[in-house]
Amino acid sequence: MNFFERLQELDRRWIYLIVALAIIIPLVVPFNSKTYTTEPTEKMYQLIDSYSGRSDRAVLISFLHDASVMPELYPMEIAILRHCFERKIKVFTITFTASGAPIIDLALNRVKEEYPEIKSGVDYCNFGFKPIILPIVLGMGENIATAIDTDAEGRKIATLPIMKDITNYNEMNLVVETSGSAAGGYWITYARVKFGVNVAIGVTAVMAADEFPYLQSGQLTGMLTGLKGAAEYEKLVDVFAAYRDDSHPHGRPFSSEILREKDTDKLVNITTQDNAVFTTQEYQNFLNKYPTAAAILDKIKKVKDGSVMIKVTDLTQDQKDQLGNDAWTALKYQTHNIIYKFKTARIGMNAQSIAHIMIIVFIVIGNIGYFINRKKQNLAK
Amino acid sequence: MISFETISNLVAAFFTLCIFSFLYKDNPFYQFAEQLLVGVSVGYGVVYTYFRVFVPYVWQPIVLKHQYILIFPVIIGLLYLFRFSKNWSWLSRYPIAWSMVMVGMGVPLGMHATVLVQMRSAMLPLDNINTVLIFIGTIAVLTYFYFSKAHTGLYGKFTKIGVWYMMIGFGASFGLTVMARISLLIGRIQFLVGDVLHLIK
Repeated sequence: MNFFERLQELDRRWIYLIVALAIIIPLVVPFNSKTYTTEPTEKMYQLIDSYSGRSDRAVLISFLHDASVMPELYPMEIAILRHCFERKIKVFTITFTASGAPIIDLALNRVKEEYPEIKSGVDYCNFGFKPIILPIVLGMGENIATAIDTDAEGRKIATLPIMKDITNYNEMNLVVETSGSAAGGYWITYARVKFGVNVAIGVTAVMAADEFPYLQSGQLTGMLTGLKGAAEYEKLVDVFAAYRDDSHPHGRPFSSEILREKDTDKLVNITTQDNAVFTTQEYQNFLNKYPTAAAILDKIKKVKDGSVMIKVTDLTQDQKDQLGNDAWTALKYQTHNIIYKFKTARIGMNAQSIAHIMIIVFIVIGNIGYFINRKKQNLAK
Repeated sequence: MISFETISNLVAAFFTLCIFSFLYKDNPFYQFAEQLLVGVSVGYGVVYTYFRVFVPYVWQPIVLKHQYILIFPVIIGLLYLFRFSKNWSWLSRYPIAWSMVMVGMGVPLGMHATVLVQMRSAMLPLDNINTVLIFIGTIAVLTYFYFSKAHTGLYGKFTKIGVWYMMIGFGASFGLTVMARISLLIGRIQFLVGDVLHLIK
């Protein structure tokens, strides 16, 4: 029995074990890999971002799925919510499946932990579970407060501060539906045709092929495809919405040029970053802004290749207290460390890449073995 | 003290491993987890529907707000339950007839969204390679499914192009399906390795 014959006889459980290892190892030992953003993701990001700071614009996210597809869709929802909270974009959430309701709560709470200033009913509103889809989709075209009536917390929608300047799809001008099946179907057929609302979707990779025709025809403004789409959106949020400097205190607008810049890569490292890196000028500006920090930071700073580096893990609790909350937050930001919940899709894509390479190798070896064996059998005849 | 999150994570991890044990072979742990999932899903659905559908949309408006007109749609909806009776199952056709209102509404809008706009986007000027490829692909695939003429000669060769287009489409779908399935596995392993064992930083 030659190598290829043995391979074809291999117990499938060995394959499962190899697949498991190919996924576990890249997760436990993360590495920085490039995430290339695609046009459908960028378009969706840009449209949402264009609502930044506007009281007369809002985004509706429809969670049309249950827990079974969460690994693909949940990171998208987290990334979109984070984008809205970072850029002060009004956001509504809704679900038409009972099992989608706890997922909305989970997503909102997970993102809100990092944004204590964001308030329910003011910056976002959860419409919760609504059992009947069509009257809601059509009703919101006339008046959202009438169609929805009460939110998930039982409050009258019309009385909430978030509804100021928001009446119908003219203001809540983008619906993003995340779904593991026919994402966006009702919105494209009813809300878009009748009221002209923009529709974007986040779908599981399985469903993406079915949705591309709607993207090509322009019926969908944007689309996030599975874990890859989520990873792309996470990156865009890190590069633009979560970016901070003196001239951009609340993030910066999207720019293709910035995405292509080399320096951008250091904003999206998914490995743990504990070195706050400044140029000399940036460090001086930092000290000018937080003069009391000089006494602490000058002692532990290291200068290398014209950059000032401060290892934030070297600071004691006392030193952090002396710095004060604002200076400590600004110093931590300078590490560009991304917390786990905001990079899960990118960490997952590392494992995805390794698993794909492994599957391709299996397919190639399997095919070589098949052709060799077939040739052997033909010769034997 | 063990937190609620730790306990819920451990329970979820146990059932995840029960389901994964099927990869080795069928076993009572897998069967238990699978049947528990079905039971919990149904139980959750019933309770949630009672509190979030029956109470706010039936009980409160009719009993508390005295909107008695709503009794009629409730009765029509209840007629669905006659589906289970051999003699009275014809009654369940009435709520189905009401649902046809939605079908009536959906036809013109659906025709616009899924047929007319799609046709329009397939009729683009052939000024770049993509539109040329889409044009050839659309015609070739459609001719493959035209069975009133034998697929022989030049016509047969052209329909073969349609087959190639479809094969490429199936390949793309397969690739996306693999990606989706691996993503689901990644999600579970991220949970086990990250949330339960705290090994992902």
